[in-house]
Amino acid sequence: MASGDNDDVGFKHRHESLINCPSSRMNTNPLSDKVDGMAMSSISMYTKPSNASDPFFASGWDPIISLSQGESLGGSSMVSHGEFANSHYPLLMENQGISGASHFSQYQSDPSFVELVPKLQGFGSGNLSEMVNSFGLPQCSQIANSRFPPNYALNAEGGNERGSTNSTQSRDDNQISEEGGLVTSPNGKRRKRVPESSSPLGSYQNVDEEPQKDPSGESSDVPKEQDEKKQKTEQNTGANSRGKQVAKQAKDTPQTGEAAKENYIHVRARRGQATNSHSLAERVRREKISERMRLLQELVPGCNKITGKAVMLDEIINYVQSLQQQVEFLSMKLATVNPELNIDLERLLSKDILHSRGGSAAILGFGPGINTSHPFSPGIFPGTMPGIPSTNPQFPPMPQTALDNEFQNLFQMGFDSSSAMDSLGPS
Amino acid sequence: MKPQNLMNPTSSSSLKSRFTTRFLRALSRINARKQFTSTSSPREIFQRYRRIKVAADKSMAYSVRSKRRWSRVMLSKLRSRSSSNSFSSVRLRRVKKSSATKTGHEKEAKIKSGGDQEEADELRELVPGGEAMDLCNLLDETAHYIKCLNTQVQVMRKIVDFYSP
Repeated sequence: MASGDNDDVGFKHRHESLINCPSSRMNTNPLSDKVDGMAMSSISMYTKPSNASDPFFASGWDPIISLSQGESLGGSSMVSHGEFANSHYPLLMENQGISGASHFSQYQSDPSFVELVPKLQGFGSGNLSEMVNSFGLPQCSQIANSRFPPNYALNAEGGNERGSTNSTQSRDDNQISEEGGLVTSPNGKRRKRVPESSSPLGSYQNVDEEPQKDPSGESSDVPKEQDEKKQKTEQNTGANSRGKQVAKQAKDTPQTGEAAKENYIHVRARRGQATNSHSLAERVRREKISERMRLLQELVPGCNKITGKAVMLDEIINYVQSLQQQVEFLSMKLATVNPELNIDLERLLSKDILHSRGGSAAILGFGPGINTSHPFSPGIFPGTMPGIPSTNPQFPPMPQTALDNEFQNLFQMGFDSSSAMDSLGPS
Repeated sequence: MKPQNLMNPTSSSSLKSRFTTRFLRALSRINARKQFTSTSSPREIFQRYRRIKVAADKSMAYSVRSKRRWSRVMLSKLRSRSSSNSFSSVRLRRVKKSSATKTGHEKEAKIKSGGDQEEADELRELVPGGEAMDLCNLLDETAHYIKCLNTQVQVMRKIVDFYSP
């Protein structure tokens, strides 16, 4: 298939660049090389595509790494490629100083590994890099075919899981995951997700090189493939709150040669939810509203256990009403008890209010005898407030503490007088 | 630390101080007018009450500096109110009351139409300027409004406590 050929070539070039450069820096981090360049995303695809669970990856890596480190690197000629199917394979790679090739080590336990060996033998023993390159292509494709699970996850969750498996890989894993996150948002566009379980496999298969029989050739170049991947991964991942964060991370980390990012609000569809654009917008709106309701819950006292918008709104309404009433009460009280206010008193008072929590007692020495104009003497009226519309039984405790009998009487009077004033007003 | 909400502690402390200074100044102005009569008739008390309430609202709205929609609306309301004299403002209140009863009937009719919406509308009436906002912004404004009301209540209560031992 022509598209497949194109894919092959494209991938080969990228892989070449990746594989060739690492010879200068061989280390036990097999993924570090792949992190470079834009083909990184494709690499991440290949490095990640272990089983649906990561144990393979962990198991794949750990023995390999220890193996490569522990064993002597003898017999590193191309002849040993006959042993690729066994643990010597990574040794070979390391011996050749091509750490990039060590990513093949993860495929060691791959039964399809053996298939690739004869292919490898086809190459001359001289140029390992060549071998690696060509090997890599079928290798990766092979891996892609055999191991890509429907639950492929490129984003941070996969990366984190991998990172936990091996400290030596953790850095790379994080890198990979980060870059994988990059992959997941080459465009910041909102995407409609069409759940297709078959397509994930197909999206990786377009990178297949010649030996692969895989049917789908969706995208012909890696970026497009990444888009597909992103789509599929979005479909497939269950946890999507992370998706948003990953998208944000991806936006922060620079991408090389990727499609231009647009400033869309990247929204992920959760698994099993409708992916209509309308419903997505609805969901965003609902989440915003619920977030604000949570904030309000903190503000309004005693609303921790309340779940449900209607009840919460009721509580908020009651609270706002009670606060407004309190302001009225207090201003009424101020109207009666506060005839004089000098500048000094004002200053002291402001200092007192702002800087101390309770003690106005310290300054009371300055403010005595001002309550002369208090028209109501305590005890005349009983401490009931029948006329006061208390809308919520919770909140009276607050005003009750502040309002002594005097104030209650005062308010009562004020209430009556206010009604009286209404009638008097026009006259 | 002042018992403000957790949303923005730094701004709340300055909000409180701004409100306090403004309000105290307004209070002193109001009280300066009063000092001629030793005892006040209920009418005067009521008038002072009104003025003090207006001053409190005004100080609060000014302290917020029209960063919020509710403060802007409140300021415009207060300004239009103060431009007219108290007579017309009383009449305005009456008119508002009658219209409020009408909307009360309307609200009862609306009860069938989804309980959430009517509460949102009720909240809209409470929060100044809330009529023209969608629920999302309304909740934002409400949160800020609650915060400011809290500040107001606290400061005024402290003043009251100061003056009534």
